[in-house]
Amino acid sequence: MALQRLSMTAGAIRAALTRPRSLVVTLAVSVVYLFGYLYAIGDLSIRHGVGVGIDVPVEEPLTHMLTRTGPASFEAIAFVDLEPFRLLFSPLNTLLGIGLATLVGVNIALSYLVITQPRSCGIGAGSGVLASIPALLSGSACCAPVVLIVLGIQASGLLLTAMTWLLPIGIVLLVGSLVYLGGKIDPTL
Amino acid sequence: MPPELTRRRALAAGAVAALAGCLDRQDGGLGSADDVSEPDSRDEDPPEDPPTTEPPIEMAHSTAALRQEVANGGVPQDGIPSIDEPVYTDAGSDETPADEDIVFGVELNGETAAYPRKILVYHEIVNTEIGGEPVSVTYCPLTGTAQGFYRGGTEFGVSGQLVNSNLIMYDREAESWWPQVPAVAIDGPHDGRSLQEFPVVWTTWELWRDHHPETQVLTDDTGYVRDYGNDPYSGSYNPTTGYYDDGGPMFAPVVSDDRHQAKTIFICARTPDGPLAIRKELLREQELIDLSVGDGSYLGVYDPRLDTGYVYENPDERTFEYTDGELRGDGTVHAPDELPLDRSLRLDAMWFAWTGIYPGTEVYD
Repeated sequence: MALQRLSMTAGAIRAALTRPRSLVVTLAVSVVYLFGYLYAIGDLSIRHGVGVGIDVPVEEPLTHMLTRTGPASFEAIAFVDLEPFRLLFSPLNTLLGIGLATLVGVNIALSYLVITQPRSCGIGAGSGVLASIPALLSGSACCAPVVLIVLGIQASGLLLTAMTWLLPIGIVLLVGSLVYLGGKIDPTL
Repeated sequence: MPPELTRRRALAAGAVAALAGCLDRQDGGLGSADDVSEPDSRDEDPPEDPPTTEPPIEMAHSTAALRQEVANGGVPQDGIPSIDEPVYTDAGSDETPADEDIVFGVELNGETAAYPRKILVYHEIVNTEIGGEPVSVTYCPLTGTAQGFYRGGTEFGVSGQLVNSNLIMYDREAESWWPQVPAVAIDGPHDGRSLQEFPVVWTTWELWRDHHPETQVLTDDTGYVRDYGNDPYSGSYNPTTGYYDDGGPMFAPVVSDDRHQAKTIFICARTPDGPLAIRKELLREQELIDLSVGDGSYLGVYDPRLDTGYVYENPDERTFEYTDGELRGDGTVHAPDELPLDRSLRLDAMWFAWTGIYPGTEVYD
């Protein structure tokens, strides 16, 4: 039963990635989500006057990039400036972001197929969108999660523990959503 | 300039006794020290560094009680990296901060240095040498406190833990935990011992540079990739907005005191007669304030040259007249930082940051 469901999911993903419209949806959503994720964790910002250029001020980038700055965030090794955008380039954060963005993109593409296939009635199409949210809230500032500071919520041990699990929970939800949506799609249609 | 009492900071026993009764938490949390069964575990022979005071600073809370209040800040140890190889430039270079930028000024053994807040907000600790002394200049963004400590042969790092929203440093030799505001170790081999401090001035680059044109200033050549013009706490001091302006502290305070908005800035001191807090705006307005702490007489003096204040011991209750930024007394004119009296070390702090640690503090507001 589980193997059959996984097989259906794989078929649905293949269908999503081989059809032009859903492929465009996947790519577009992935790119937007990647930028959103990098912005949410503080690696990407809109800054005027940064000009255009790349600067690597770090002495040993390969070692430096492995240093953790938060539960699931790592040191940046370069400034990448493209007015008005400034990216603090962290290879591991970016890799993590690409992985998450791909999961989200495929989720939305499957949701698109669910909505456009007459048989599936569009039920459950929002699951991928909901599953994409936790990872966006997982970014840490220096001494507290960014989202708590922005919302003015007082932190507690329980809340902070929950915050550290946001990213893995987000990944599990995205994979679960894929399997859920995969069962709703007929790849032959 | 008379030295501030950086190495003579034991509180009078009477003041401490008065403080000891102030542990009952108004919001129902931390009880009295008697409720804490775990004894303090001071090591009889801790490592030599960092240098500590003798006797140690007395506190309102036992170190065991503060240990119970420690919260994880959400970052691993050294996830906020201290600056261990600082690069400085001089006041005339083109790498200096903007005039209105907040800097933390230090004058030690004839040397002066400035530390831009916008850099320290990402690092919190600079391990450096000033005037031949190995020291650490520290800043906690969540409590608005900048303090200096002698470090001897060790360095301080950011533990990732907080107490009363305040930075807990750790020393890299013995890994004792040192909350910044009380400057007393609450865990590890140094438990109960207190750091030797030196004064740090919270001011602007323009004021500091004009007062100390020979100053060095920390540059953003830190070896780390950080967007130093972009505050990570969604706030600003030019003007004061966001986290730094209003709302509650990030974590529940050890002791709540609603007499003032949590982020109101006070000039705070641990005087020989007990802790003292003067609302900074009040000191700006009144310029010279006669103060009493326990049985002791003190003076609060405003210094417009740096927009800061000083706390002087005034046991003989000498009188001064404040005119145009100068003080006249006994037929002599003194600059605000040069009164012929002993000074207590003071710091700027958010209201909740001081009252959470020193709930029995004398308050002038």
